[in-house]
Amino acid sequence: MKRFTSYITAGIALTLATAIFSCNKKSDDNKTSTPDFDRKAMLTNWGNNIVAPGFQNLNTAVTDLDAAIADFNQAPDGTKLAALQSKLTSAYQKWEVCEPMELGLADQDLLNVNANTFPASVTLINQNIAAGSYSLSAVSNLSAKGFPALDYLLLGAGTTSADILAAYTTDANATNRKKYLADVSADLKSMVSAVSASWSSAAAITAFVNASGTDVGSSLGQMINKMDFDMDVLKNAKMGIPMGKQSMGQLFPEKTEAYYNGISASLMVAQVQAIQNIYLGKSSAGDGVGLDDYLVAINAQYNGGTLNDAIKAQFDATIGALQAVSDPFSANVTSANAGTAYTQVQKLLVLLKTDMPSALGVMITYNDNDGD
Amino acid sequence: MLRNFTNRLFTSFTEDQPIAPLAVLRIAFGAIMLISTIRFVLKGWVHDFYIAPKYFFSFVEWIRPMGAAGMYSIFALMAIACFCIMTGLFYRLAVGIYFLCFCYVELLDKTYYLNHYYFVSIFAFLLFLVPANRYFSLDVLRKPSLKVTHVSGWTINVFKTQLCIVYFFAGVSKLTYEWMIQAMPLRIWLPAHSQIPVIGGLLTQSWVAYAFSWFGAIFDLVIWIFLLKKSTTKYAYIFVLVFHVFTAWFFKIGMFPYIMICVTMVFFSSEFHQQLINRVRNTFGKKNAAEPVVAWHLRPAVQNAMCCMLVVYFFFQLILPFRYLLYPGTLLWTEEGYRFSWRVMLMEKGGTAFFYVKDPATGGRSEIDNARYLTPMQQQMMETQPDMILQYAHFLSETYKKKGIKDPVVTVESYVTLNGSGSRLFIDSTVDLAKEYESFQSKKWILPFQTKK
Repeated sequence: MKRFTSYITAGIALTLATAIFSCNKKSDDNKTSTPDFDRKAMLTNWGNNIVAPGFQNLNTAVTDLDAAIADFNQAPDGTKLAALQSKLTSAYQKWEVCEPMELGLADQDLLNVNANTFPASVTLINQNIAAGSYSLSAVSNLSAKGFPALDYLLLGAGTTSADILAAYTTDANATNRKKYLADVSADLKSMVSAVSASWSSAAAITAFVNASGTDVGSSLGQMINKMDFDMDVLKNAKMGIPMGKQSMGQLFPEKTEAYYNGISASLMVAQVQAIQNIYLGKSSAGDGVGLDDYLVAINAQYNGGTLNDAIKAQFDATIGALQAVSDPFSANVTSANAGTAYTQVQKLLVLLKTDMPSALGVMITYNDNDGD
Repeated sequence: MLRNFTNRLFTSFTEDQPIAPLAVLRIAFGAIMLISTIRFVLKGWVHDFYIAPKYFFSFVEWIRPMGAAGMYSIFALMAIACFCIMTGLFYRLAVGIYFLCFCYVELLDKTYYLNHYYFVSIFAFLLFLVPANRYFSLDVLRKPSLKVTHVSGWTINVFKTQLCIVYFFAGVSKLTYEWMIQAMPLRIWLPAHSQIPVIGGLLTQSWVAYAFSWFGAIFDLVIWIFLLKKSTTKYAYIFVLVFHVFTAWFFKIGMFPYIMICVTMVFFSSEFHQQLINRVRNTFGKKNAAEPVVAWHLRPAVQNAMCCMLVVYFFFQLILPFRYLLYPGTLLWTEEGYRFSWRVMLMEKGGTAFFYVKDPATGGRSEIDNARYLTPMQQQMMETQPDMILQYAHFLSETYKKKGIKDPVVTVESYVTLNGSGSRLFIDSTVDLAKEYESFQSKKWILPFQTKK
């Protein structure tokens, strides 16, 4: 038996050796050590300089908008309406910064669907206004509230500014409409304030930083998950559906984001820039630790170069292509520039959704399951 | 020497051995699978995997889920069966039912295929063949005439053989350039755990990834030898413990390490198992009286048939992992002949797939939002596995036919990255997958995996 065992052992050692030496590929220039990367430093940078300020800025904008709406409702006039419209645009821009980071309380409260389910249902909004009573927290009213509803109420309730103003002054439902406008704004403000307050607490940042693993519940896993999900929203909902990509070429320009304001393209630029900032760890505090540093630290490769270079270049290409799309996007869904931008968005999506998580070994399955 | 060896092998399968190891194996398997079943239900997976999805990647077309009531009943039935296996009550019926239910559930959707589920299925099958209830069981209590003290050696050795095959092939599958020379995918996975206290910092060192890779390969290749050898079983089992506890800690592999820890106990001597049983008896205040020897044998004709069946069974066990050699291309890339071969933890693979359905009559084309039909996990699994991509393409074809499109053309633009290779086109994006069919033939439309310089 002893001899038998030693035969087997020798045989296996031989197999092992043969297998290794028969791999006649040249050993590539393997780095012998992966430098330490401090995930907590990245999470601290994200939490303190990107997530918390992002929601604070949004909160300031929607609070400002809400006050302006109250003022407008007191005595609606054209000047106030114009001011409201520009405040909405500004708040929308701040929203795009927050959309890719639906984390913590934002995630628990389902902030994204509550704040930005588009297109808005004009029928539902007008039904609510006519009825005068409604519950904005009801799931059935998701497409009658948030930014898309404000977009319709402030920019789509009539064809001209005078028509819109009339809807709040001389129209039979003017009183109800003013109340609805105030209610939608208050609903948005209260949700955003709660999330902003939560992210402004040291406890939230600490919890975020301490979940420093790479599994499904980790902060890194969640951030990448949300970023990628938001890239999907950009590609499918913001671009694909209006451009007829999912409907055999049948166009749906009215399904663009912020349709009545006609600022969809600039919002898409803002959104991708926000995702780029998360990637780079860049904020008003400077270029902090981000995923770029992480990918460099682990020496992730792509197509003969580094993965970081590929992703950075693709961010630039995507933002450039989106900037070339003219607003209103709804009038340009068939333009060549829109087509180019769509292709670039798709390329960026592949890098962020496939290459990056795979290089990092991050679990981004939404479902928990045994691996193998 | 060789004749000596075959003789020994033969006698070890035919000569009588004490039944204790079989009884302990039955209890261990029943208990761990009972926990496993309950855990599965409590995690909400019955709902998430078999009730919620709109589409299922079934292995066999006609095997379909049975709705909420049906699925929960199946799992309840499995839990009861596990309890019966553990206690040895109506054992054959219980293990038979368990085997059928487990296989049914596993065949429902490829998304959740795991080697350890395959392992559980075949272990249940083997348990069905043996009289594991004839000692230290409720069946014996119920019907004392069932009690035996010895069984033919094969009833225990089939499990040892099966386990040896599992370890050995898991080891062989690691003898690749990626695993041994590049330390992939551990070089990706280990640094991802650098937040672990104390050893976290070490995990980012690439020599650690090499050490883990080599240790893992050598462990799998040789551990069975030391488990088999009586004088080293104890030490080998300590290695088994350490190895599996470590992998359980590092990787999300669920119950697998615990199942292996439980069932490899079968390698211990019959004296060890007898002592274990006696100890349990003692705690229940039973005296261990000397037991008259009663041996269990199959009738010679049945024994011969069983022997033939087992030879065929193990022959397939031995050749199945090598079937990939019949396919061209890189195994981890094409995954042709990948399943049912004890290939574990070999790849970090991710993908994104954009499906297009074209109406040949109008030339109109729709891109598919996969989330409309598939759960995130189904998407993730489908995006890297060609047979699932094909299955989904056919589903899309059927879906659009129902929408009134004649002969829809289904194509896919999919990008996959394997062990940090960087994503590249996976499937020929010009091929109409609606006109390709699943078979044992190699899939010509999988683009070759070229390692870029």
